[in-house]
Amino acid sequence: MSQDVPRTPSQEAGEIARLLSYVALLAVSAGLFLEARAMPTSRFEVLGAGAFPMLVHGCLSLLLVASIIASLRKIPVGAYAAFASATAQWVREKRLVVFLFVCLAVYVTSMPVIGYPVATLLFLLVLQITLAPKTRMAIATALILSLVFSFGLNWLFAEVFNVFLPRGR
Amino acid sequence: MDAFLLGASEVLSLTTLAMMLAGAIAGIIAAAIPGFTVTMAIVLTLPLTFTMDPLQGISVMLSVYVGGYTGGLISAALLGIPGTPSSVATTFDAFPMARKGEPGRALSLGVWASFFGTIISTIVLIIAAPPLAIFAVRLGPWEYFSLIVFALTIVASLVGNSLQRGLIAALIGLAISTVGADPIMGRPRFDMGWELLAAGLPFLVVLIGIFAISQLASEVEDAEAIKRGERLVDGEIEFKTWAVMREVLMRPVNLVRSSIVGVAIGALPGAGGSIANLVAYDQAKRASKTPEEFGKGTPDGVVASEAGNSATAGGGLIPLISLGIPGSAVDAILMASLMVHGISVGPRLIMDNADLVYGMFLAMAVSSLMMLVVCVLSMRAFLRVAEVPKWVVVPVVLVCCVVGSFALNNRVTDLYLLAAVGLLGYALKALEYPLAPLVLGVILGPIAETNLRRALMTEPDWTLFVTRPVSLVFLIAAVLSVAWAIRGILKSRNEARTGKDPI
Repeated sequence: MSQDVPRTPSQEAGEIARLLSYVALLAVSAGLFLEARAMPTSRFEVLGAGAFPMLVHGCLSLLLVASIIASLRKIPVGAYAAFASATAQWVREKRLVVFLFVCLAVYVTSMPVIGYPVATLLFLLVLQITLAPKTRMAIATALILSLVFSFGLNWLFAEVFNVFLPRGR
Repeated sequence: MDAFLLGASEVLSLTTLAMMLAGAIAGIIAAAIPGFTVTMAIVLTLPLTFTMDPLQGISVMLSVYVGGYTGGLISAALLGIPGTPSSVATTFDAFPMARKGEPGRALSLGVWASFFGTIISTIVLIIAAPPLAIFAVRLGPWEYFSLIVFALTIVASLVGNSLQRGLIAALIGLAISTVGADPIMGRPRFDMGWELLAAGLPFLVVLIGIFAISQLASEVEDAEAIKRGERLVDGEIEFKTWAVMREVLMRPVNLVRSSIVGVAIGALPGAGGSIANLVAYDQAKRASKTPEEFGKGTPDGVVASEAGNSATAGGGLIPLISLGIPGSAVDAILMASLMVHGISVGPRLIMDNADLVYGMFLAMAVSSLMMLVVCVLSMRAFLRVAEVPKWVVVPVVLVCCVVGSFALNNRVTDLYLLAAVGLLGYALKALEYPLAPLVLGVILGPIAETNLRRALMTEPDWTLFVTRPVSLVFLIAAVLSVAWAIRGILKSRNEARTGKDPI
């Protein structure tokens, strides 16, 4: 479609990023297609465990190949040189999103070790204080909310719902 | 008549009404929190009903059920995160409407549409329960597979800017649904030897990761705005109860069509509110004179999606009451609660316990009225969520998502999946892949595969898909649906070409 043709450097960088996503998805999809093909069929049915995944990954791979070809035709040759700097700029602009995902990763991996209440308290405090305007009121609100949603929620689930959130080692 | 009056006297007693009110409030609050589903709310209510009379217990559970279908609307409209799987399509128009400064109107439209959807489904339930139930159970795997093929054509309505990326997203969803044990023989697939993949990717964790985590991450993209204490939604915090009621009633065709879609899908065992919500939205878009307005905050989208999912509550009761077959997990829990009280559910239910069945019909109507009253009175408080700054909402809702994902199966590994799927969802969103087709693929994948394989196990003859009349009707509907979508795309291309700006 004509409106899909990238016109600005950021649109060109976006199209290159999409091209990379098509290639990555194709690699995964083709690999899974081959794995599904190797699955043994059952004597009790016409289709085996691998038939439906083969159908899905076959269609997906074909669609991705077509998308890669269309994308390669759309991207101007000179656009690739500016891709690295455009990506770095994008990451700088989205620094809070990167920080949020790092916090989330640390939060979920530390929870089985230090337990839900402590992990949540630290996660909420760090994230809220980073995102909030630096005022006393905001810090106090962050502290109260962190306590309520860490130790308070843990108590509610344990005492009222009989659901025990991770306690830590 | 005596049986009806007996049932009515029990449902309308002060104690039952008070308990149903508490149930409706609990259902609304539970479903408003992302990660907590209507099913979880009903499961938590079940033990509380053991000491009640059978009709009182089931009335309380129905009020949680009806309240829950509406509660999912709150986070869908205000946060852009479906509170339950049955409110995915609600986010498409209610959220943009709220973002445009009309959060009160978005919620009010959804509440009224839910109310009328439930009432219409109750009327259909009373009139058509036995014939519809007999029709629903006669459908074999061929018909189910063809129905799913038809449902997959909804993707055409959900693709957004790019048909290509929409199809890729739908196929990624289908691919995700193939991870884990295969649904017929239980053979492990694509688990790479990891324990966390052996049982497959839990649908709700995928839903929360794809929609909630990616949406919350998008909210913090603008570092400067969030530091200024920017709110989620700026605009009029006005519920406009009666004006919006008229607005909903001015769309009778959309309302009735979406409710019928909800009832029909609810009556099919295995389908449910999540599919009804999307199908009703899709049908409204296709029938609309202004389909291009869908996804931008049109009232028709909100009405269709909410009437559709709420009507499944009545639809699900059709096979349950007529044949003793639960149509969904929630209906299975309702059935369990009747069995706990020594009431056998099946075709004789209406003959042996007519007062109970009439009482259930009445309880459905009363529950929807209670949901409406609770929402009208308390919606102002819910709307205050829109005034909370993003730096508060984002971390707190993230914690709710984590707790909800853990509480589903009590598995820490689900949390790792949540973070990974959330990251994938954000990456896809940033690359402008539409996320709704992906979720549709995850919902429909296992149903499609199970029925395709079951059909061919029963009779290894592919022609049965086109020789069985109902299956053929669904397949023809699927072909027409695709043809309609292609026509729409070609039409919009032609319009874009002829109306191209000369500069």
